[in-house]
Amino acid sequence: MTEPPTPRAQPRRPSSSRSTVPQKTKPGATALTRLGAWMDDRTGYSAVVKLITDEPIPGGARWWYVFGSVLTFLLVLEFITGILLAAYYDPSVSGAWASTAFIQDTLTFGWFIRGLHSFGSSALIVLAAVHAAQVVIFGAYKAPREMGWLSGLGFMGLLLLFALSGYGLPWDEKGYAAKQVDFMITGTAPIAGPWLQRLMQGGETMGNYTLTHINAAHTYILPALAVLILVVHIVIVKRHGVTPRWGTDEVRLARATQPFWPYQASRNAVACGVTFVILALIVIKMHGAELAGPADPTGNYQARPEWYMLPIYQVRKYFEGPLEMLIVVVSPAVISLLLGSLPWLDRAPDRDPRHRKPILVGAVIGAIMLCVLGYLPIRRDGKDAAFQQSRAEAEERAQLARTLAKKGVLPEGGLAVYRNDPAFHVRELWGQHCATCHSFTGAGGKDGPDFKGYNSRAWIAGFLRNPAGPGYMAGAKLEKGMKPVTGTDEELAALTELVYAETGASDADRALASKGQGLLSEKDCDSCHDFDGTSGNTGPNLKGRGTLAYLIDVIGDAGDDRLFGAKNKMPRFANKLSPEEIGDLARFVLAESRRQPAH
Amino acid sequence: MAEDDADPRRGFLKMVIGGTTAAVGVLAAVPGIGFLLHPLRAKLAAAATAGNEPIRVAAVPADLKVGKPTRVEVISNVSDGWARLENVKLGAAWLIKSPEGRVRAFSTVCPHLGCGIDWDEKGGTFNCPCHQSGFGTEGQCLYGPSPRGLDELEVVASDSEIRVRYQRFKAATKLKEPI
Repeated sequence: MTEPPTPRAQPRRPSSSRSTVPQKTKPGATALTRLGAWMDDRTGYSAVVKLITDEPIPGGARWWYVFGSVLTFLLVLEFITGILLAAYYDPSVSGAWASTAFIQDTLTFGWFIRGLHSFGSSALIVLAAVHAAQVVIFGAYKAPREMGWLSGLGFMGLLLLFALSGYGLPWDEKGYAAKQVDFMITGTAPIAGPWLQRLMQGGETMGNYTLTHINAAHTYILPALAVLILVVHIVIVKRHGVTPRWGTDEVRLARATQPFWPYQASRNAVACGVTFVILALIVIKMHGAELAGPADPTGNYQARPEWYMLPIYQVRKYFEGPLEMLIVVVSPAVISLLLGSLPWLDRAPDRDPRHRKPILVGAVIGAIMLCVLGYLPIRRDGKDAAFQQSRAEAEERAQLARTLAKKGVLPEGGLAVYRNDPAFHVRELWGQHCATCHSFTGAGGKDGPDFKGYNSRAWIAGFLRNPAGPGYMAGAKLEKGMKPVTGTDEELAALTELVYAETGASDADRALASKGQGLLSEKDCDSCHDFDGTSGNTGPNLKGRGTLAYLIDVIGDAGDDRLFGAKNKMPRFANKLSPEEIGDLARFVLAESRRQPAH
Repeated sequence: MAEDDADPRRGFLKMVIGGTTAAVGVLAAVPGIGFLLHPLRAKLAAAATAGNEPIRVAAVPADLKVGKPTRVEVISNVSDGWARLENVKLGAAWLIKSPEGRVRAFSTVCPHLGCGIDWDEKGGTFNCPCHQSGFGTEGQCLYGPSPRGLDELEVVASDSEIRVRYQRFKAATKLKEPI
């Protein structure tokens, strides 16, 4: 029988005992001592301090008692780093990603503080698991310590809620995609699901409410609950004292009893110090926590949960249809129930692991299952080339976005960061204003010409031969458009060279071009086209056709007399876009038209 | 536990506790304080004032009447922490035209403690609504607690436009020092 002793706090001494007992003090310290005595007489703080320092550790201080204090230390570290981050973080759709990128890449030591906070949460979960494993092995959940075990499990649940809520705060592709999945899962829960989903995400879709809600949960509600549960847990644990190793008789335990201070305290301090150094080294090695590109509701980011959620992610795959969602809600509930009922499943007072084989074997099998279930998705993703490719692209986006973020992010939200990139912006302009009619594929634009090889002899010759052909003006469906040029190949080559020379190409054959010049009248080109750059006619004035200046004019107002005049069908952009944007678009068209296919 | 008091290891263990606590404290405090004090970094202050060009305001000299100040807002693109903001108000200025046609600009920020200066049409003075300082049309302090006259801003004016170089100055000092 090794029923552990249940020591209580030492009887309280009269509060004034300290001030009356002469103290061994160094000279000069007396003023401080007197101040301490005065304060103690008024507040009685020394009794509280003694309650902690004099706590008897039956059997003496041990390294396996350190986990609780390391967990408390990590929680305090999370609080401190969390408060620091809160000094710069903006929980809004417009500022969440931008302020996180600012913390990560601009603020002094920002990456380190954010890294400590992020990796610290993983460390908390690892340490909580180790702490729980130690409790299971020692049978420390047995009567009368059931409430200590339950409050500890409650704390673990809080840790998971902390992690779940914190994951979405950066509002990056990763967190956004993961939260979307979380909310959808919540929505499938029976009865209260849809209601809970709308409450948590603050409406039908994710937005500002989502951030203010998960931020309020993560930074106010959960910390308050964590402190509450931790205090309850510590008070309960202190009430019953540490659980010594099984099989030590009480007489030996009592003889070897040591006070908490400094015997256990020193071990705890060293364990906290080592934990901190390891954590800091990991943060330095990884240069802080990951930050993906800004959240993109249209993106295809391959969401994966944090590592400690992977077992649930995996087990989901084994169930189909409505069961799939049910299992996500039910399996954590089953695990919690099983763990919570351990003190009642394993009731015998004997704590010796050799006599508790079914429970311990069950626990080990459970732990191995969790590890295997957690490892399977990692292995699968590792072998999945498409997944790796998608992640590499996401990483590239993240790097670009974070570089651009250093110029500041417009208040439209994280995605606006890409507008800092001139190349991205012009592509966006092209997509918004041009791509509905034009293309660079060579296959033919929908309602306007395709610009692949726009300034090449082939494009020009093709146009002259069949202006209304596919890839040219077929899509525009002009009434009384240009008629095909007829003539010999030599004549066509000469006319092509004439137009080609206008692009400013250095390899233009001047002689051939001037031969083309001579053909203008004969081929009746000049009845519609002028070459002086000023006069208007039924067809565009071809002076400088294909130069940057020409394209800028066309984009600005293709309906100008000098250009397509009355026949024009293209919108005028001079008032819609800034001169810089039109210039960028014109340069973009020239660059894209020259681009050789990648394959 | 009486024999423990005489345990020679106690002193060593206390040193271990103190040393570890101090080491972790310093290792965590240095980046933490550096992080919190980031806004004090000199480089930031330099970046904030760099590129402070005169900004065109919504008035031309012909709009201004001699002896009757006109309030204009100074609007520009700014960098604010992680954000880049377009067309936000930097502040405002009172424009005043001298009989010779010279345009001067005074910041609307009171040199005393930063309240917004109003123009009192009847009295013909600039007034601070918070602490009742009064200023003349030359910007000079007439009465009240303000330690100096209104802060004049640099103006670049032509017939077609007025540009104002917007600046803020230290409050409650005799000397006008840009921040």
